[in-house]
This record gives sequence, C-alpha cells and structure tokens, in this order.
Amino acid sequence: MKVRDVQHAVLPQTTVEERSRQGAVVALRRLLNAKVRPRNVEIYDSEAAPAFAERHGRRPQSEEEIREAFLMAPSYRLWSAANRSAQEMIWVSVGQPIYRDLDRMEAVTEELMHSPARRGSLTLDPSYDPSPEVADVDIHLQPGGYGMDRGENDVVAGALYELGGNVFSFGQGIGRGDSKAGVILRLLEEAFTGFKPARMLDIGCSAGAASAAYAAHWPDVEVHALDLGAGMLRYAHARAESLGVAVHFHQMDASSLTFEDDSFDLVVSHNLMHEIGEEKRQAMIRESFRVVRPGGVVIHQDVAIRNPPTLVHQVERDWDTHWNGEVHWATYATADLKADMIAAGFPADTVIEHDLAALSGMMNNRWYAISGRKPGQDNNG
Amino acid sequence: MKSEAEALIELISSARGARKPSLANRETEEVLNIALATLIELAVANDRIDRLERLVAQLRGEDVSALRDITYEGDVAEERQQATDGLLMRAMRIMLDPREEAVTEKAAD
Repeated sequence: MKVRDVQHAVLPQTTVEERSRQGAVVALRRLLNAKVRPRNVEIYDSEAAPAFAERHGRRPQSEEEIREAFLMAPSYRLWSAANRSAQEMIWVSVGQPIYRDLDRMEAVTEELMHSPARRGSLTLDPSYDPSPEVADVDIHLQPGGYGMDRGENDVVAGALYELGGNVFSFGQGIGRGDSKAGVILRLLEEAFTGFKPARMLDIGCSAGAASAAYAAHWPDVEVHALDLGAGMLRYAHARAESLGVAVHFHQMDASSLTFEDDSFDLVVSHNLMHEIGEEKRQAMIRESFRVVRPGGVVIHQDVAIRNPPTLVHQVERDWDTHWNGEVHWATYATADLKADMIAAGFPADTVIEHDLAALSGMMNNRWYAISGRKPGQDNNG
Repeated sequence: MKSEAEALIELISSARGARKPSLANRETEEVLNIALATLIELAVANDRIDRLERLVAQLRGEDVSALRDITYEGDVAEERQQATDGLLMRAMRIMLDPREEAVTEKAAD
C-alpha cells in the first residue's frame, strides 16, 4: 500500500483551486530546497564568516557563533524568511479545505468509528494529558500541534498532519511512492530474513499511514499503534477503517507503555525520535525493549540528518530547531543512539545503524534507522 | 460548510508559539510573506487560465499551442499594452511616491 496521497473518506474534499494552491506551495518549497538552500554553506564562507570576523576580529568557533554569523548574511536571512513563509503556507494550503469541510469529515469519522463492520479499534485515555514537550509545540509549525483535541469527533490534527506531510514531503523531493513502512519492510527482508511478526507495535504513529501500510502488507498480523493526541488518533482510526485495514490505535505516552512485557514480535517507530527530548527518547527505547519478546526485533526509523560533514553544515541543518518548531531536531541529530539502545538492554552486537535509500523520489533521499534484537530463544518469525 | 475566510481565520488563530523574523525587522518580513502568498495566488490563477485555454482549444477542435499562439496587433495590442502598463504602475507605485520618509517617534528614539 502506498502511504502518501492515498484517497480515503476522511480527507477533505478539495476544490481545484485548493489543489492548485497546494501544488504551487510544493513547487515553491522544492525550489527553495533544491535551488536556494544549497547555497547557504557557500554564503557562510562568502558573507557570514567575513561579517562575523569584521565584527569580532576572528572567525566563528562555536555552534552559537556560526549561527550568529549565518544571521549576519542577508542572503541567508532572505532564504530563512522565505522558507519559514513557505512552511506556513503549507498549513494555509491544507488547513483551508480541512476547516471548510470539517463538518462532513467529522460526520464520516463518527460513522466509521461506530461502524459494525470496523476491523480495528480506538482506545482513548481521557485521563492522559498529552506530554507537553510534544503537545505544547506547533511541531514543524502545524497549527495546534500534534496533541490538539477539539472535541468528540475532532480529526483536525490528523488531517493537518497527513495533508501537510504530503505537501511538505513532495516539496522535499520525496516521491509519492515513498513509504517509511516500505523501507522498513525492505530492511526486514534484507537484514532479518525469514522474520515475520504475529503482533507488532508502531510507536508514535501520528495519522497512521505507516500502521495502515503494515496492516495492508500483513493482513494476518495484529497491528497496534499509539500516539498522544485524540484528534490525531481518531483520524488515524477512521482513515484505516476507510481503507479497510485492521489497526488497533491507543492513546498513550511513548515513554510509558501500558502493554505487557514481551508482548510484541516487532516494535517500530517512524520519525518519532526527532520529535521528543533526550529523556523521553531513552525511556521510549527502554519501553520498546521491554515490550518486545525475546528474539523480537525493534527498529526506530527517522530522518537522515545525522553525521553532517562539518559544524557549519550541522548549524545550517539545525535551522528547523529555531525556525520550524522542531525543538528536538539537534538533540536527535547529535544523539548517541547506539548507546541508548545498548543501555536499554539490546546486546551491542545486535544494534545496527542503517542508511536506507527511499523507495522513490530524488536519488539523495535517505532514511536513518537503528535496529536491535532482544536476546532470547527464538530468532525466527 | 464554512466559507474560505472563516476556515482560514479558524486555522490561523490556532497557531501557537513565538514567531521571530529572519529579516532585519518584522515589517519587512511581513511584506515578504504577503508577496510570497500573492505569488502562490498568481500560480493558482495561471492554472485556471491554463484550464480555460485547454477547454477552449478542445471546443474549437484545435491544439492548445495554436490557441496560445494568437498575436494581436493594432487596437487590441494597444489595449493589452495599456493594461500591462497599468498593472506594472500599480506595482511600482511606491518607487514613484514623491513623499519623503517622515521621522516617526519610534525612529527618533
């Protein structure tokens, strides 16, 4: 199952002008990324570092000084302002049809959530207060953030996430055929030959695109998925039901799972680590170790922004921390994730970092993943 | 169903956090945002014109490139030129504004 640009009943019904607008924002973002942003490191040498040296009498040394230097360069500032504006226009281009068509979307959601034919389930926890380090931030400027819940049948956070994610990804050059679940399924085939789970967990599932893709790929596997926001999860649940796949969604904190020890064969997370701070990430990895069975596999996948060639590249990449609501971007990019996995209990010889090619899109699109295997009796599926 | 403007106001009012400008001041950045949003709307309008051109070409039973290859001369060309000049003058207004910059209280501080 492809996961991007999938047609289902919970999507807003867009007008041709709204689709045109989304396409134009995609084009603007793609050009800013492909044609303007690559100049930033050159601009650092030609404008930023000399401006800093003129003011301070020496070249920038630390991350903070490099960031200060970048902001002294008018060309960098113009790119930064335009990139921020383009990011905000993503939300305008997808948010307008969502809020306009919301009554219908909520009615469809209610119908799907209560349909006698539903295949999966949704378990919300009204006593759970979504973790503020995630819920209080408009991550990548998504208005209202991931934890937004506007009431009984609200799906805005999920709809914004899926539609905004599509516009964002296409603007990054990620192809419509790409799928993070697909990349992990390929990794499982290549690196864990013969492994097939009976029960799996997707931690931090957001709008449930990957969870639904796993359920479609393995119809006989019991797929569970969790996230923190009720609005996100209602959308994910209704989306999965509309697509006819069985996923069991749970409202839960990634760092404190209510599942039994050793209860899953496979635990995955997609693009979760860069959205949470260090303590929560380490707790999440410990929980993934706890709930996977002996012999089971854990794979945490995320964006390929780690290991930049120079400190200047790292600071340039870190734009998202300061301007795009990705407050844990740098924390993730510089974390020792192998150490986190080993500290969680995974034997060092099972912990492997993977540099994975995307399924489609531009040649240089990569994904990062780190996998580990819980010691135990059974290493097969 | 909400109107476009109502939907946008609901969306815009749900955004949280501080918005720090990248440019030297907030006003400049806000103007850039308006210019870029207008650019996106121009792309939307161009798409609409393109659809209409293709539809007209289809109705006329000719290739769309033939329809687009119409060059006007004489009065029609002059009328188009004046319309273009008018559009450009409206955009260039600030460059020709004769008024000097007033020193505001804020600037004087």
